[in-house]
Amino acid sequence: MTALQDIGPVALRPRDVQFDWDGVPLHWMPGEPVATHVINALNLLLPAGERMFVSTFKEALAEVTDPEVREAMIGFMGQEAVHAETHDKVLWQFLDRRGIDPRPYVAQADFIFGAIGAAAKRLPAPARYRNLVERLAFIAGIEHFTAVLGDWILNADLESFGADPTMADLFRWHGAEEVEHRSVSFDVATHFGMGYVQRYVMFVLGSGGLLVTVVRGTKFLVHQDPTLPNYGYPRVLAEMTRAMSHGALPKWRSLAAASIRYLRPDYTPEVEGNTAQATAYLAKSPTAQAALA
Amino acid sequence: MSTTQDLPPHLYGRGNRHDMGVTLVIAAASALGRLTSHLSARGPERVEDAGRVLTVERRTRESLDGSVVGLVLTSPDGGPLPRWWPGAHLDVYLPSGAMRTYSLCGDHRDRNEYRIAVRRIDGGGGGSAEVHDVLQPGATVTVRGPRNAFPLAPPGAGSTARRLHFVAGGIGITPILAMVTLAESRGIDWSLVYTGRDAASLPFLDELARYEDHVTVLTDDRHGVPTAATLLAGVEAGDAVYCCGPPPMIAAVRAAVRALPETELHVERFSPAPVVDGAAFEVQLADGTLVDIPADRSVLDVLREGRPQVAHSCQQGFCGTCSVRVLAGEPEHRDTILTDEQHPDEMLICVSRAAAGTRLVLDL
Ligand code: FES
Ligand SMILES: [Fe+2]
Ligand SMILES: [Fe+2]
Repeated sequence: MTALQDIGPVALRPRDVQFDWDGVPLHWMPGEPVATHVINALNLLLPAGERMFVSTFKEALAEVTDPEVREAMIGFMGQEAVHAETHDKVLWQFLDRRGIDPRPYVAQADFIFGAIGAAAKRLPAPARYRNLVERLAFIAGIEHFTAVLGDWILNADLESFGADPTMADLFRWHGAEEVEHRSVSFDVATHFGMGYVQRYVMFVLGSGGLLVTVVRGTKFLVHQDPTLPNYGYPRVLAEMTRAMSHGALPKWRSLAAASIRYLRPDYTPEVEGNTAQATAYLAKSPTAQAALA
Repeated sequence: MSTTQDLPPHLYGRGNRHDMGVTLVIAAASALGRLTSHLSARGPERVEDAGRVLTVERRTRESLDGSVVGLVLTSPDGGPLPRWWPGAHLDVYLPSGAMRTYSLCGDHRDRNEYRIAVRRIDGGGGGSAEVHDVLQPGATVTVRGPRNAFPLAPPGAGSTARRLHFVAGGIGITPILAMVTLAESRGIDWSLVYTGRDAASLPFLDELARYEDHVTVLTDDRHGVPTAATLLAGVEAGDAVYCCGPPPMIAAVRAAVRALPETELHVERFSPAPVVDGAAFEVQLADGTLVDIPADRSVLDVLREGRPQVAHSCQQGFCGTCSVRVLAGEPEHRDTILTDEQHPDEMLICVSRAAAGTRLVLDL
């Protein structure tokens, strides 16, 4: 817990970012094309989720009277909205211009996350409230992983795979903000009375869904990539495992360990990253600093 | 989860065939959703947001010309106050109802008091004059916070910087003073360039005197307006710079730091910018309520007074969180993100406005 001792709680604010992907090669980690596509797939998927987070939080905000919780929610919503906006624009255009059509995958992501919100709208008031708490628990589960992945990318030596500095910075800016706001959705779900069983079930759903969709997305991107052979799922998974052993992706073992941590009754998001490290990174990230001229 | 919506196309373009992957995810979601919807959920705890009442314990004159007053605030029962870290600020609600934000400038290890310092700015909305005139020892004042929008990431605890360099302009010394105290107590190598009009107007010169060899004071009357190079004297690539002062100073420092690789620049992150060239207009809400929007305030700002739950975040027109549907009327868009297709019936109420005397009907 040295992190909290060192920097204390930080007021969350969205950052207006600027990003120029001209000249970034499709395989922005040249030696690791599959790992590149895993990270691309995750970041193509997330905007749909992040938009669902924001709309769910808007709904939840109406019930919140605690000023501290409200402040944190407001900061969180702005950060997630900017993430969605940036990845939608940047990553989409980046892939599209380099011969990969992200539309079918993004359409599915939009559909899945859209269905969650649409289903809630049709519920009568009391059931809708329970459903709101469930959605908050679902978000908390996914946010556990975004924090774990954010912490990973802040510490991963992507440079040793020749990572393009602009692209690495884009994902590290996102990762750093995920670390910065890692406690918010868990605290909000707890504030709304999330129970342990609900937390567990929604986590399994969220993280399982995330894993399945990211692997599907990776296969899809590899399939579209004119420079790569058309791998089937076994080969995609084998390539992912190989990239993990190099350190170009977080290892299965550490993902499993993170899942187990979330299920401990005394779980706290606080230990899933270092706020001081995220703050320091954001203070030198060209993406995060660009718009502040 | 029903499938009344159109299913998205198959990933590999097989016409309108449904996609097994999507179907499975949706089926799993609705099964699990049904499972947990039987669990009870209680509503969030209701919290009375009354702020915290503090007593003015002492007042101190902090600059030679008397333009800066220091206030030490304590809890009326003398008990410990919530913990804070350097860079944090308090929202101070003055007796007149005005709210002002002041950085904490004391020692963060002292749990029993908060210290702020306020420069009197005549004609600046009157908040600082009220602090100077009304907040005498024994007076009470309501505060919210502390909150930290200018956190210090100490070297070794997440930051890879070796040194800290502080740049303060005038009253911008307040958060920096707390940071200096922390750096000193942890044995972190640091330096400070402190600038202002003249020495008489600069607060805390006496407190800083003991750090002599770390501190450079530059005043316009003796040294001229400082350049970025003098503000950043001694800074090397890989250091961390913390800057608080007037916007032109921050802009100059930012431009210079950008040329140094791997160098952190931390500045306080304020929210709204003042409204420029606005006119007064009217907003009608979904329930029929009419609200006047003055020329110098945003729709969001006015609506938030009675409805703290109105969604928003950046207050600068770039995040999109405050987007609201426009049911009637002609908005004047001032954002940077909505597309032209979205513009006719959506607006970002933190920045976008309407022409003088017109009315907007919002779906709120
Ligand atoms: S609050 Fe961010 S765009 Fe309005
Ligand atoms: Fe995000
Ligand atoms: Fe997040």
